[in-house]
Amino acid sequence: MVYHSGQVGLSNGVLFSFVVFLAVARAQSGPAATPGNSTSPEYVGSAVCKTCHPNIWLNFYKNPHYKSIASGTETPARTGCEGCHGPAKGHVEARGGKTTIPHAFSLMQPKEILDDCLTCHAKDFPRANIRRSSHTVTDVVCSSCHSIHKAATPKFLLAKKQTDLCYSCHSSVRAQFSMPFKHRVNEGVIQCSDCHNPHGSAAPTWRSGLRPRMVEQAQGNEEPCLRCHTDKRGPFLFEHAAVRVDGCESCHNPHGSMNARLLKRPVTFTLCLECHNGAGTFGRQGDGILTQSPSHNMADPRYQNCTTCHVRIHGSNADARFLR
Amino acid sequence: MNTAKCILAAAFSIGLVARFAAAQPVVAPTNEPVGPPRGENTGDYNITNSFETGYRWHTVDGNIGKYRSDVNFGNGIRLLGSTLTVNSKDGHGHYFDELQLTTGGLGNDPYQFANLRIQKNKLYRYDLLWRENDYYNPALTISNGQHFLNTTRRFHDQSLTLFPQSKLKFFLGYGRNSQSGPALTTIQYPDSRGDEFPLFSNIRRVQDEYRLGTEFEIAGIKLGVLRSWEFFRDDTGAAITGLLPGNNLTDSATLATFARSQPNHGSTDGWRVNILSDRSKLYSLSGKFTYAGGRRDFILDENALGTDRFGSNRLRQTYIFGNARRPVTAASFTATLFPASKLTISNQTSFHSTRMDGDSTFTEINNATLSTTLVNFQYLGIRAITNTTDINYQWNNWASVYGGYQFSNRRIRSTEQTVFAGFPDRLQAEQENTVHAGLFGVRLRPAKGLTVRLDAEVGRADRPFYPIGEKNYQAFGGRVQYKAKSLILSAAARTNYNTNSVSLSAYSSRSRNYSFDASWAPRAWFSFDAGYNKIHLDTTSGIAYFLQGDLVNGNSVYISNIHALNAGARFTVKRAEIYVGYNRVQDLGDGRAISSTQLPGIDPFYLAQTFPLSFDSPLARLSLKLTPKLRWNAGYQYYRYNEEFLDRQNYKAHTGFTSVTWAF
Repeated sequence: MVYHSGQVGLSNGVLFSFVVFLAVARAQSGPAATPGNSTSPEYVGSAVCKTCHPNIWLNFYKNPHYKSIASGTETPARTGCEGCHGPAKGHVEARGGKTTIPHAFSLMQPKEILDDCLTCHAKDFPRANIRRSSHTVTDVVCSSCHSIHKAATPKFLLAKKQTDLCYSCHSSVRAQFSMPFKHRVNEGVIQCSDCHNPHGSAAPTWRSGLRPRMVEQAQGNEEPCLRCHTDKRGPFLFEHAAVRVDGCESCHNPHGSMNARLLKRPVTFTLCLECHNGAGTFGRQGDGILTQSPSHNMADPRYQNCTTCHVRIHGSNADARFLR
Repeated sequence: MNTAKCILAAAFSIGLVARFAAAQPVVAPTNEPVGPPRGENTGDYNITNSFETGYRWHTVDGNIGKYRSDVNFGNGIRLLGSTLTVNSKDGHGHYFDELQLTTGGLGNDPYQFANLRIQKNKLYRYDLLWRENDYYNPALTISNGQHFLNTTRRFHDQSLTLFPQSKLKFFLGYGRNSQSGPALTTIQYPDSRGDEFPLFSNIRRVQDEYRLGTEFEIAGIKLGVLRSWEFFRDDTGAAITGLLPGNNLTDSATLATFARSQPNHGSTDGWRVNILSDRSKLYSLSGKFTYAGGRRDFILDENALGTDRFGSNRLRQTYIFGNARRPVTAASFTATLFPASKLTISNQTSFHSTRMDGDSTFTEINNATLSTTLVNFQYLGIRAITNTTDINYQWNNWASVYGGYQFSNRRIRSTEQTVFAGFPDRLQAEQENTVHAGLFGVRLRPAKGLTVRLDAEVGRADRPFYPIGEKNYQAFGGRVQYKAKSLILSAAARTNYNTNSVSLSAYSSRSRNYSFDASWAPRAWFSFDAGYNKIHLDTTSGIAYFLQGDLVNGNSVYISNIHALNAGARFTVKRAEIYVGYNRVQDLGDGRAISSTQLPGIDPFYLAQTFPLSFDSPLARLSLKLTPKLRWNAGYQYYRYNEEFLDRQNYKAHTGFTSVTWAF
């Protein structure tokens, strides 16, 4: 069989990658599961816990935390039940009791719960800002949303379906998603975590960089809206500066609205005129945002739908006034 | 029944109540009662499955376009929902240890999704996300409904993580986002004093994203590098054939033929670097650096033939080409200190820079001897430096406080090229805005199950970018929650005040939100959830506009007074699960009963600023257990959209489904 040199190179590369993959995979595979493989006298092993807590144990192999047992290579302090709840010898000797569990989460302070979970989970970058997240400072910690043993969702072990979980505190957001114009969160096609990082995100790169603090940036550091609304992303030669400087929320209510297109006002011209009034030090030149021209007679309904002519209002490559 | 079975039954019941307590505001697939101990064992795997299929129907009385905009459920057979899980029982499956597949709405619902996860411990984790959303918007209140959209958005994202539990991981990812379908837009012809014409547009947009990255850990410090490439293509075209009179009957301009080709292609190269150190008990450090270099190349070729407002024939040919660039750089560094077990101090410093520039050549030719060629160049640069410090202190077991100070400095540079007296001229400007804000909050747990939270934020900006931006603002909030075994009660209030007044113009806004929620599950066979929200917003803005050529400086007052109610109850009667619920959202506006058009002689701008309407939706669902693995379900939901001033968009709709669930 004759190959072109490029194909040979590619084939060798693929082969080499496959060999490396297998080698690393081999290095990653540990011995078989050995529940209860404890070395410290304080640790009794998960098999002992199973005796009195069969309801938890029987289904625990479906739990992502079972990996710590299946691995067989973790230390007793990071394995199975005692990996989270601490050494159980005292609990066993006392023949049960919540207070004898070193880490009984229902008795712990929020910060202690956070510290316990972050012992393993801090290593993930999406949680890099959890210590300063709005949730943490208001005592909403891991166990507020996640249920390790009675999860409603196998993925992420959420205590309820994600929307219901978020709605349980963010009641006004539930109201917004029940409005006639809304993103389809209740219908299941979008989730809160598509736009928000409940574990805390880095400073936003729009508005003044201060708020909102739980919104996750898109790949290019932009607002998450642009992940889906790619046509609004640009870059445009003629940017509608308000969009880039202060973001989509300048004109839109992102969750839901009583107004068409999630706009902040029921009719277009009032939305536009509240900024385009020529007053103050606002705008790109700092001498007020341009007013409309005298040819716009606002008594005539044709001028009250600004976007009928200014169709490319998010930004245009062809017209500084967004006309095409 | 032995002890283990009793425990399992209790856990099952708790799981059932927890699942059913979740309110569902749309006629959706029936919540399938899933308790922990279930599934079929096959070899070393446990398999659980749920499969709900049935028929969905609807009838609409009123504006069907608005119904499709808000609800959009149609008729037909659907796979309403399904879940499949396969788990290895010892964590050492041959090809995988876990498989999860969840779907919803497959078979032509307007909202469809599928999520798949397959993983083998230590070796790989694969995630697939697929979504399809039919989007229909007649938007009668926007451009007289001439910005119509009937498009389908499709998203899918695949990601593969190699060695997910190791200190050296690799990431591969691919995502695709597309939008396609017919739409209407508008064009003004033959010039800025011309008429407006509806224009058919065939939307075709696609974005592909490729990702490649790695994470590794050295000496307790974790480093992640992700490289991404995005490719965007917009090949939306627009055309009309046939004489159109235009929107305004008093304007005699006509458009006979129009064709526009406007391809817009581009790419964004991205880098994302993360660093994290969280091993120490005294501190945690994290940093993030990202760069995205966006570029779009565009061309526009447009031909329009018609008559102007004087009836003269006009041929307009427009040709534009060029490119736009936007490199974005952002970096942030967070340091969190734990000087004492009850004290956390966190500081984040971030920087971001966005620079947008580009060039284009614009050529417009028409047969009225007008021929223009312009080179346009614009620049918009935004640089922001932000620093926030938060202190969180737990006073004792029932009281803790937190506070913080935030500072932001933003510089905006702008260059606009214009033409002055036939010569290109550059208009350059630079401005800075500084924001100082303070936060303070208290958290109390005065009794078992009772939590109280109060917080306040006060901010001052010296030069917001636009008149409705935050300048002098203060926000106050509070929340009380009582949580008992079967009862959760919570109440919250939040107010936001902002004033942004300058010479010649004043802006102020007040928003006040109040909510009350209750969740009660006294028995395994009964649960009840209810919530009420009041969302109030009133704003006063200085506006300037022209009436018959005269400049008018006036005020615009907007008042929105929204009341939202949701309630749902769930019962289990022998083999039947019954859910009944009700949702209502109503904007009372400022309380008036008639619109501005019915009150001649009064400033239309004031009267336009309130828009009362209501949106009701009662629903009911029945699920009957036929056999241990088979259920029959039926659901019904009614929608009523009612605007007070105009009834052009009002509708009433009945939707429902009947289905069979097979689950084990």
